[in-house]
Amino acid sequence: MAVWDLSVSVEELGAEAPPLKISVTSDLHIGGVILKVVEKTQISKDWSDHALWWEQKQQWLLKPAWTLDKCGIHADARLCLTPQHKPLQLIMPNGVTLRLRACFSSPVFRTVMGICKLLNMRHPEELSLLRPAEEKKKKKQKDEEEVFDITSAPLPTGSIVKLANGMPAFFTESPQMENVYKMLSVSQPALPPETIAKMYRPTSKVDKAQVNSRWLDSSRSLLQQGLKENDKLFLRFKYYSFHDLTPQFDAVRLTQLYEQAKWAILLEEIECTEEEMMLFAALQYHIGKVSTTEQLVASCPAMDDLDSALQCLEVKMEAETSADDMLETMTAPELHDYLKIFRPKKQTLKKYKQFWFTFKDTSISYYKSKEESCKEPIQQMNLKGCEVAPDVSVAGQKFCIRLLIPEPEGMNEVYLRCDNEQQYSKWMAACRLASKGKTLADASFSSEVQSIQSFLAMQRTTPGSKAVQSDDSINTHSLVSPRYQKKYKPKQLTPRILEAYQNVAQLSLTDALLKFLQIWQALPDFGISYFVVSRFKGCRKDEVMGIANNRLIRIDMNVEEVVKTWRYNTMRQWNVNWDIKQVAIEFNGNVNIAFSCVTADCKIVHEYIGGYIFMSTRNREQNDTLNEELFHKLTGGHDAI
Amino acid sequence: MDDIDAMFTDMLEEMDLLTQSLETEITEPKPPSNSSSKSNSMQDLNFSIGFTDLNASLNELEDNDLDALMADLVADLSATEEKFAAERGSVKPQPPPAVTVPAAHFAPAAPLAPPTHVPHSAPGAPPPSKPKNELPPCPASNAPNLTSNTSVPPPPAVSSKASAEDVEAQMKADKIKLALEKLKEAKVKKLIVKVEIKDGGSKTLMVDERQMVRDVIDNLFEKTHCDGNVDWCLCETNPELQTERGFEDHENLVEPLSAWTRDSENKVIFHERKDKYEIFKNPQNFYMWKKDKKSLKDMKDKEKELLLEEHFCGTSVIVPDLEGVLYLKEEGKKSWKQRYFLLRASGMYYIPKGKTKSSRDLQCLVQFDNMNVYYCKDYKIKYKAPTDFCFILKHPQIQKESQYIKYLCCDDHWTMTLWVTGIRIAKYGKMLYENYKNAERKSSSLSSVWSNRNLQPSPSTSNASTPSPTPKAKAANGHPPQHHSEPVAKGPSNQSSFPPPPAPVDILPPPPPDPTLPPPPPPPPAWAMPVKKEPNPPRSAPQHSQPAFPPPPPMDFPPPPPLSDDAELPPDFLPPPPPVMGGFMSADLPPPPPDPFHTALPPPPAPFNPPAAAGGDLPPPPPPPPPPPASGALHPTASQRRVGPPPPKRTTPTLSAPSGGDFMSELQKAMQKKRGGQGQ
Repeated sequence: MAVWDLSVSVEELGAEAPPLKISVTSDLHIGGVILKVVEKTQISKDWSDHALWWEQKQQWLLKPAWTLDKCGIHADARLCLTPQHKPLQLIMPNGVTLRLRACFSSPVFRTVMGICKLLNMRHPEELSLLRPAEEKKKKKQKDEEEVFDITSAPLPTGSIVKLANGMPAFFTESPQMENVYKMLSVSQPALPPETIAKMYRPTSKVDKAQVNSRWLDSSRSLLQQGLKENDKLFLRFKYYSFHDLTPQFDAVRLTQLYEQAKWAILLEEIECTEEEMMLFAALQYHIGKVSTTEQLVASCPAMDDLDSALQCLEVKMEAETSADDMLETMTAPELHDYLKIFRPKKQTLKKYKQFWFTFKDTSISYYKSKEESCKEPIQQMNLKGCEVAPDVSVAGQKFCIRLLIPEPEGMNEVYLRCDNEQQYSKWMAACRLASKGKTLADASFSSEVQSIQSFLAMQRTTPGSKAVQSDDSINTHSLVSPRYQKKYKPKQLTPRILEAYQNVAQLSLTDALLKFLQIWQALPDFGISYFVVSRFKGCRKDEVMGIANNRLIRIDMNVEEVVKTWRYNTMRQWNVNWDIKQVAIEFNGNVNIAFSCVTADCKIVHEYIGGYIFMSTRNREQNDTLNEELFHKLTGGHDAI
Repeated sequence: MDDIDAMFTDMLEEMDLLTQSLETEITEPKPPSNSSSKSNSMQDLNFSIGFTDLNASLNELEDNDLDALMADLVADLSATEEKFAAERGSVKPQPPPAVTVPAAHFAPAAPLAPPTHVPHSAPGAPPPSKPKNELPPCPASNAPNLTSNTSVPPPPAVSSKASAEDVEAQMKADKIKLALEKLKEAKVKKLIVKVEIKDGGSKTLMVDERQMVRDVIDNLFEKTHCDGNVDWCLCETNPELQTERGFEDHENLVEPLSAWTRDSENKVIFHERKDKYEIFKNPQNFYMWKKDKKSLKDMKDKEKELLLEEHFCGTSVIVPDLEGVLYLKEEGKKSWKQRYFLLRASGMYYIPKGKTKSSRDLQCLVQFDNMNVYYCKDYKIKYKAPTDFCFILKHPQIQKESQYIKYLCCDDHWTMTLWVTGIRIAKYGKMLYENYKNAERKSSSLSSVWSNRNLQPSPSTSNASTPSPTPKAKAANGHPPQHHSEPVAKGPSNQSSFPPPPAPVDILPPPPPDPTLPPPPPPPPAWAMPVKKEPNPPRSAPQHSQPAFPPPPPMDFPPPPPLSDDAELPPDFLPPPPPVMGGFMSADLPPPPPDPFHTALPPPPAPFNPPAAAGGDLPPPPPPPPPPPASGALHPTASQRRVGPPPPKRTTPTLSAPSGGDFMSELQKAMQKKRGGQGQ
């Protein structure tokens, strides 16, 4: 058989080095080629991750047993021996940039699986990689962004040792690595509002469609899609169908999901009402706060001890009270103070009037003076089920509690005015607990007091006062989207967030995260990926197509209103005409639609629909093995077959 | 061992009850507690409120209600008695003495009990104070329908009895004490609630703080023997606002009732509401409401399931995307203004003038945290609403017209249903779905029971060689007393005694499914109720009168705890009808004669039209039930419940067994009064 020269370039020899020429015959298999090349380089190292890349054909030669002939390689072919895993800069949903080794040779779907395995994120099928938007101006600040290098991690092809909590063991190798993991699994502090305001925000559904043009093709490899070593990519949740979210196993996944949701809301990628925004803000604040304290406790064992001791004590106390009501009567905590009261309902011009107040159980009673407190109170108000709202201005030293107490005839509106922050935070905390039917004896009382104080502190350090902003204070503006930054001053915003906050203040970190996700998922526009499409049957102008986890939505581009929806379960089949790039779908009852996508490749649309159908085939009983084949079948398109 | 433990706990509970009632007697033999209790601290105030009302309410109670309650109590007493006996080892099931005896037992114990209570009792008002202990905050009690369960008058029966087994009682003194302590701990608030039933009748039952609406409904199923389909709903009506709201199954009943005012004319009604779970039966009508209704009509079950799964089984519940024009009553004005409303999980919104549908522009009308949604009646007249399809959103505590109520009006009935249901989903989320699944389970098990019952006649009659069951049953309808004796005895064993039926059930698969279907079951249930009731009254009687119950007593004692559980739970936990029966059967294989009786009852239903309503009218034939003299005949209502479950009830913790004492004494007092009246 004829012997001919094959030129193979080897990265390890340097970019400038001329390709190596090796003599081969057509029946030499790929493995043999690699062996020859390696021998010729005379470099001894672990070559196991290397494979041949055929540049002209943009193709990997991954089957070592295939002969050159079978692969169709002739003397004109330029091959390249290169590692399959190369470093990649991956921008996580929370904005952290990681440098890690990802597989450039397998389909992106599998690459993502590897990345997720490395980062301890379950259900990689829900995520995918997104190209960064093309940057029009060259930013010089690029270098400022910190990149966390975890290329030292083992390759995901092997097995990764994991700790009990699912954390891959290599993250414990050094403090730096540990820190990286913490960054992934703990939500990041809020950015200053100015930064948020500068970020890109889509304003219309057409804008929102743009992002979807940047998804990588799941069935082709990174290198095939023109990506190079050290390129930047975003890792994002692509399919809004989150399977089996279990906090104890999903620390990273949950946090990243939360971060993605948070940014979607802050950057107005998904719209919400003002009330919802305030609740999101409150949750963000709470999550931020709880995450920092958690870290703090973890780093300080003494505190830890103290904390647990206190908790024990609390538990004990609780147990005792329930065990013996004698104790209850003895220790039932109360608040007493001179406060001022004002009832707007009675339309007198009377202002706040001072009385002696006592707070017991869930009721407030007031008396003319302290001395008369043994007599019948002037009035007693049971706060159970009432609405409590702050009316506070730290700058103006105004500390009022607005109570709306339900009564058979309606709501009784009462304002209580406190003299100072201390007093206010105690009474406010008591009112809040009482509104939920809890008494002062409840274990959460002190934490409630604290959270009110810290919130007040926030108001104190808002930019309005031009006080030096300490690092730990959060600007309320950074908790809401720029629209509300413009609409409200921090002074106005704080009480509103505080109001929403009282409903979430007692949540644990996990619960708060889950709650945030829940509210996000309950938004009407949740989980819809937009595409601009054309040539809908019988319609000449472009329209917007929304793809959600259970339906397709046709949206009028101008009014942005839903025209029609089709559910997947009424879908009979869908086809893609790859030549004219048209997607045709048939639904039950002879409903046919066909469209081509203007803003993205039709492969992306196809993949979205197939992907969601794939997601719906997962069910709870199934184990974790991922049916990769099915995914490719549903999303692959013509070249997969 | 467990059984014994369980039994022991039960016993303690029983003892509490008994002692307490005794105690009340002792502390204040005079019933006039109402007026006396007014002074004192807030607690007293609260208490007195309940108290005054109580009298009124007791007076207003219909005869049969009282009887029913009384019958329950008697059953309780006798049950305890039996348990005691069992404990002692002397398992003599002396039914007749039982009722009276308990009192005797406790008489000695009473002295001990009072001291504990004394501290609590207000100086001025001894009678009221005692109840206070148990019901610290019972401001909730409402006039006719509700009464706080304060214990007042000494039951005649109890007091009169002498000590048959004093020694025993004394030995138990410490246990009683202990039980009392426990009770205090529990501090469980209880209400006596009169529930109106759509056919005009009513049931009175005691509901404690911990009971969920679902429990109460189950209880009512037992009492009324209705078909138990998922549409049965406990509702509150407010005549002043002309509203009606169905309680959700997971709600606590006592809490919303506590919001009623003293003079409230609100009522609790038990009837079927098609809209209660319509969302789960036909989710497409809610989630795809924009589509043509006809096209949705024949949606396949599989698709419905899928819809439910999509909307209720994810991490967060998806609220139907309702939107459209509704009328909103302008605050403080009589006019109604059209607005375009949207429902979101976070609340109800409308589009302000000149704005768009976009989320950021929406104006929030209400968030649902503190709001409930109520259907309204006749608002066209009352508030000049454009249509009569109105609903309101208000804080549950608001009972009267107020600016804080949001009044909304829809174009048609369906729109109203859509919105009210949507709001419920937004407010309760997944809970509703859970409720529905529970209700379904319950109803299917109930239906199976029902079908079994139907089937039984043939096998049971033949098997059990009891005296002509059928005739008896018939007789029961007309004359409950005599026949009761048999059923009564069986009462406890009833449930367990279904052995024969299972087989038939298996043979006849069709029956079980039927129950769920509204048409077939409804008629039978109605009858069934009465029928059962009839037997019940006798039940109490029989226990006493029939000394020769060798088989029943043993069954009662050893198995009580387990049995009771089974008995009560069967519907909940055993969806498949036949299996249920099997379960029971296995428990007590000895098919007692009673069976035939039960089985016999179902067939006669037809004859019984009047039973439910007529319960009170029935001639109190034999004076078997010692405690409730005149009313004995009336038992039907309560007794009905007793028949099957009596023993079980005792054991079930939810059933307020502990506090029963108070309310028992109250009742007794009322009964006394009544008797007095009758005598005159």
